Amino acid sequence: MRLFKKKGKEVAYTRYSAAAASLSVWKEIVERLMTPEGRPEVLEDVMVLDASYANFSGIIAASFLAEFGAEVIKIEPPEGDPSRKMTPFGKNVKGVGIPFMVEGRNKRYMTLDLKNSEKDRKDFAKLAQKATIVIETFPAGEMDSWGIGYRQIVEKNPGLIYIAITPYGQYTEKAREFVNLPDSDITVQAGSGLAAQIGDPITEPEPYNWPLKAGMWMGWYVTGLSAALGGTMALVYRQSTGEGQMIDVASMDAYSSMTGFPASIGYTWENARPRIGVLDFILYPYGHWKCKDGYVAIAAPRDHDFRALIKILGMWGRTGEFESDWRYTSDRIPDILDQAMILHRAIEEKTMMYTSDELVKKALNYARKAARSKWRGGGVPIIMKVMTPDKTMENKQWEIRKSFKEVEDETVGKYVITSGFVKMSESPPQVKWVSCDIGKDNEYIRTKYLQ
Amino acid sequence: MEGYFSYTTELFNPSTVNEKPEVLKGIRVLDFTHVIFGPTVSRTMGNYGAEVIKLELPFYGDLWRPATYWGRYWKHSNPIWHFVTQNKYFVSVDLKRPEAQDVIYRMAKTSDVVVENFAPGTAEAWGVGYSSISKVSPNIIYLSCSTYGQYGPMRYFPGWDLLAQAASGVLSLNGYPGTDKYFKLPDYLGDFVPGNMGTLVVLMALYYRNKTGKGQYLDLSQTDSMMRSLPHFTYCSVTGETLGRTGHSDPAMIAASIFKTRDKKFLALACATERQFEGLCSAMGKEDLLKDRRFTDYLEGLKEENAEALRKIAADWVKSQDSGVIIKLANSKGFAAAEVVDDKMICYDSWRRERGSVILFNDEMYGEIALAGPSARLSKTPGRTKWLARPVGYHNRLVLKKFLGMSEEEIQELEKKKIIGTYDDKPGLKPPVYYNLDEDPIYNYGREVKEKK
Repeated sequence: MRLFKKKGKEVAYTRYSAAAASLSVWKEIVERLMTPEGRPEVLEDVMVLDASYANFSGIIAASFLAEFGAEVIKIEPPEGDPSRKMTPFGKNVKGVGIPFMVEGRNKRYMTLDLKNSEKDRKDFAKLAQKATIVIETFPAGEMDSWGIGYRQIVEKNPGLIYIAITPYGQYTEKAREFVNLPDSDITVQAGSGLAAQIGDPITEPEPYNWPLKAGMWMGWYVTGLSAALGGTMALVYRQSTGEGQMIDVASMDAYSSMTGFPASIGYTWENARPRIGVLDFILYPYGHWKCKDGYVAIAAPRDHDFRALIKILGMWGRTGEFESDWRYTSDRIPDILDQAMILHRAIEEKTMMYTSDELVKKALNYARKAARSKWRGGGVPIIMKVMTPDKTMENKQWEIRKSFKEVEDETVGKYVITSGFVKMSESPPQVKWVSCDIGKDNEYIRTKYLQ
Repeated sequence: MEGYFSYTTELFNPSTVNEKPEVLKGIRVLDFTHVIFGPTVSRTMGNYGAEVIKLELPFYGDLWRPATYWGRYWKHSNPIWHFVTQNKYFVSVDLKRPEAQDVIYRMAKTSDVVVENFAPGTAEAWGVGYSSISKVSPNIIYLSCSTYGQYGPMRYFPGWDLLAQAASGVLSLNGYPGTDKYFKLPDYLGDFVPGNMGTLVVLMALYYRNKTGKGQYLDLSQTDSMMRSLPHFTYCSVTGETLGRTGHSDPAMIAASIFKTRDKKFLALACATERQFEGLCSAMGKEDLLKDRRFTDYLEGLKEENAEALRKIAADWVKSQDSGVIIKLANSKGFAAAEVVDDKMICYDSWRRERGSVILFNDEMYGEIALAGPSARLSKTPGRTKWLARPVGYHNRLVLKKFLGMSEEEIQELEKKKIIGTYDDKPGLKPPVYYNLDEDPIYNYGREVKEKK
């Protein structure tokens, strides 16, 4: 503060007092954010029929709507949706797989044999007349051929929003040709461009240089999110006009449409990016390094961040190597991988000398001092411990934000799920209950909607 | 069936997209965001018709403007940036200056949504936080995006996509079991996924506001958002074991892995149901597997040693076939298969062009570029691209005059004080060299312009 001129001091003071005045508003907001329970639900007037079959993208889309208060009815055949059995290494509780337990939030379950029973299709048609949203993942045109597609339902329910999820969509030559091709997460990751960008460079030994699958259902997850987003967009339109519409989600677009990189890079570079292992195309340093007790992620891509990083790692000013070497100061993202790896290994040599906590602390201290100093140029090297999911669960931050919730299902018992991915002051998403029994709500739904 | 496809072809016809109505027409978004996470929230809204006013620092602009792959520019601009910030109004105001606040508040008064992704606390300190904006516009929907959230002990930790991946556990999961080899999710998915979730929650808040008239404050953390995609936490709580890296395979589906074909292509296979598994066995000519006790039940077949054995059989079969043959078989027998596609294949795939997943967009300033279209196509109100990114401060005059009713004199006064400004002479910030801004009627909105030759 002493360095500031008088005028500067006044400015600082005004800002401080403004901040103090806004503090009471802040306090109230944060208190609201921290207590989502019992607040109003956005979609309390929305009924969703989720007829997705053996496909988690539909289930995930329905989950988003259910968390915001929609009445989501999962329609499945009497023997249960095959998605119940998709679970890592077959791990299950009484036949219910773990991903199905995760997505069982606020849902109701009804059995209808759409594939084989004419009578059940009629019941579905009746339900659909009262529904706001229908989600389905059958081959394009199959529901239509059963007489319960968008074309037929919309005649009696013009406000209907109908979301169909398939690998190649509902129109085009390709969709017609591959109409019977089933959907899966790994094929979405491969066919929409995600897998091609993960893995070691082609010069490394097999199979490490193969395209790699992301360790979670990122393909299905992105598809489900896109479907939920499209559905909500249509809900907003319906709210003002009363009109519904059909939404066609092609899962083979999932990754390429979400990031947009493949299309634009393929066009401007007229080439495909190779896999570059742990490096990044745009930023450096931007990745993870080994340290004494595990791994740290380091992001220090701007010049002043990078300078700060090599200072806290003790690489600045002693050997004279780094500040004078043009390779690191002017071009840290070369497309010559070998050159990039020299720097990568030099940094690793240093990170290996510290524990992850030491490195995180060093970075935070530097950033704090740099923010107050006019000589350091504000470099913010960011270091974070690479956590495995079990370590993430122990983090105090998520305990305070109620990001995990212990829930209990009558059949499968107690378990932990993620909940409340966003905090909202008025109408936050909530997990009210979990359930997974086949046909659990048949009675309830028949009484409520089919009489 | 034919009747169905001609019906849908008409319903979704990509050539009529621009004639259809826009959902968010008349919704104004004040966009304080930078890099990718925040800008994706408002960009997606812009795709569906919202008026997005993007505020940048004069002469510097957004941090991401010069950040292109391997430093390769396209017409002095960042080709990736065009997708990330399409359809926006580029206004350049120095937020830090108290004099700028008047302009900001006037914009906020007419806005429906505010989005920011500064480090938590910064927006409040600069007088553009929720507590100040809600005073001038009480029913505003205000979304704060950050890495760890606006409250909790880690709130002041700086962070980006990578750090959210590290803190959520996502980063540690993409790689090979029993080795040190793992990779981050590419292309800043830790920004794009939470960004799309941001749009989803803003729409939810908008839906709520349309019903009740009430705006609200939203706190979206990208780590929270990435955590939502992991079943690993539940796995841990149910089994007491950790679910780590699983290499090329998906441990939750039968025969699900990435394989190499005879013609040296990479191919993903999976069976979602027991019936699909029958299809795969029939394609492989190995119907005897259907009688094998290890594989007859779906859950049984997923057990580690059984799944491993089955993958080996599948890998041997794939090695002996061409990729095209397998995909045809998958379609006729009914199991999931797809080739691994790269940037070039995606850009030039005729299916994607026909569908509108990849469009050749012709921009007035930059000419032709390929852009990704939305993966969810709405039949009545489809998303669309109207213009690409623009130089810093390109829409200053248009926005200040048309939206705020300011006069040319007032604007020149602000320019003189450097409260508003334009671009520095740097790639990513400036217009292409061939483009003469003096002749541009939008840049010079409300001023005389020379006739374009």
